[in-house]
Amino acid sequence: MNNISQRDAFWGRVFELAKENKDVLLVIADMGAPALDTFRVELNAQYIDVGIAEQQALAVAAGLAMEGKKVFAYAIAPFISLRCYEHIRVNLASMNVPVTLVGVGAGTSYDDSGPTHHAVDDVSALRILPNLRIHNITDSVMARAFADICCDIEYPNYLRMDRKWLPDIYEDGFDFSAGMSTLLPGKDAMIVATGNMVHRAMEVAETLRGNGADIGVADVFTFPIPQEALLEAIQDAGRIITLEEHNLAGGLGSAVCEIMADHGMLKPVKRVGMDFSRKYCYRYGGREHIQSLYGLDKESLLRTAEELLN
Amino acid sequence: MEKLDTAGLTKKALQIRQDVLNMCCGAGTGHVTSSFSSIEILVALYYGGILRYDVANPGWPDRDRFIMSKGQASVLLYPILADLGYFPKEDTERFCQADGKFGVHLQHDVPGAEITSGSLGMGFGLATGMALAAQKDRKLHLVFSLLGDGECYEGSIWEAAMFAGHNRLNNLVAVIDRNYLCVTNFTENMLSLEPFEDKWRSFGWNVKAINGHSFDEIFGALEGVRSRKSSRPLAIIADTVKGKGISFMCYNPLWHGIPPSGDEAVCACSELQAKEVTS
Repeated sequence: MNNISQRDAFWGRVFELAKENKDVLLVIADMGAPALDTFRVELNAQYIDVGIAEQQALAVAAGLAMEGKKVFAYAIAPFISLRCYEHIRVNLASMNVPVTLVGVGAGTSYDDSGPTHHAVDDVSALRILPNLRIHNITDSVMARAFADICCDIEYPNYLRMDRKWLPDIYEDGFDFSAGMSTLLPGKDAMIVATGNMVHRAMEVAETLRGNGADIGVADVFTFPIPQEALLEAIQDAGRIITLEEHNLAGGLGSAVCEIMADHGMLKPVKRVGMDFSRKYCYRYGGREHIQSLYGLDKESLLRTAEELLN
Repeated sequence: MEKLDTAGLTKKALQIRQDVLNMCCGAGTGHVTSSFSSIEILVALYYGGILRYDVANPGWPDRDRFIMSKGQASVLLYPILADLGYFPKEDTERFCQADGKFGVHLQHDVPGAEITSGSLGMGFGLATGMALAAQKDRKLHLVFSLLGDGECYEGSIWEAAMFAGHNRLNNLVAVIDRNYLCVTNFTENMLSLEPFEDKWRSFGWNVKAINGHSFDEIFGALEGVRSRKSSRPLAIIADTVKGKGISFMCYNPLWHGIPPSGDEAVCACSELQAKEVTS
């Protein structure tokens, strides 16, 4: 098992790629990581720090990419996505400029920092933009693989990584081109999860399977969700649970329901995520605690699943 | 493209003014006054031997990049690009029409146009990225960006200005159309931009202030622009009149984005026909 974070796996691989290709550039908004320290020292000409100015990071990245550079723009997830949303819309999406936005801190990774640092609206906001793809990273194997993929893209994309270490689910060499994968097939219900919640889904499914229920898990790591792949993954399941550490409005659950509705696939769906219709999360005490407040902890999810199954 | 002399440029500026007015009056929309303040600047760049471009090869890697950050003046760029031969002039006659190819704000998919722009404060930052790419690759082409003075209320303009100054992007030229007018008010009444030159200087730029309707002063400011000794980017603050060329549209914020119609359209056309516009 890999003991490296998604961030370090990703930037470690980007560094290797950048050593081979001087057109690989990093645009940084005052962010650090061990691999980035090495990058800054050894590949200083390819390391562009714009200061704490995410809009400018985006604009510079777009200009560089339009001149043929392979650009990664990096900041804390809500800032690189939402602070410069209109730059993404105009300078990337409308012109299909191939920049990779890299945001660290998916969901409530920054659990002690309050809602300004929670990336809980970014999937809803960005998944509607033309040309743009979101890759919500599940483990360090996927993170490393996407470093290669992002060096060779023809569209803007947004890589969303967890800040905390998570165990690896995938094995080296896995082909991520399908945009999602079925980790466990299930006939009674499928849990369709994304990002860190894929790990939670696996825990829940294993417990329920131990109780005799046939529960599967699908990992959605690309938005827009590949429609055919999703329909195939859930077609044999009696019920669907969607699971995300993200705003319920417009997030994974919404996206799944849109596809099901558009294809006339009618079956019970329970969306599990964070409801911010009245208030953002101003609660602390660790990520597990925050998750429990929104029903994202294992015990709550077991209850939710059992209610749905019964 | 043959370089025009001052008389030729003046004649060309009048022709483009008439084109812009016809396009906007025909469509009943478009930014006449915002375009008229920038006309001499663009005519000097495109017809005065400043910009390097290849009509037959719009994507020529060594072309100068012209980044129109004040995208509402696209109705000024389109007739110039058509006149140069990037696309048929008939396309300008379908401005904002159901069978047309472009509307009020700039589109990157129009031959000769580099970017989509319309939301202010975006194109200029992109221009700094292009200039940085050229600097890194030791390319000799220049990046020109046209900004509106009202656009300079956007904070992103100053993020980009700070970045360009720090990174010594001396291949970047910002021309700021200082027409002193926004949508509803004069800039100095609304929120003072002055001391405007000092602001740019303090962000690490060389600054030249000129009359933006004088070809002599525009060329004076751009003299030796490819062999500047300074490592700083160059800001040209072009003092202009919004609506220059049509007397009743000048100095009046209410004409922003609204073309004349009826008798006023007739008056505007007559005024342009009647005189050569001089600075």
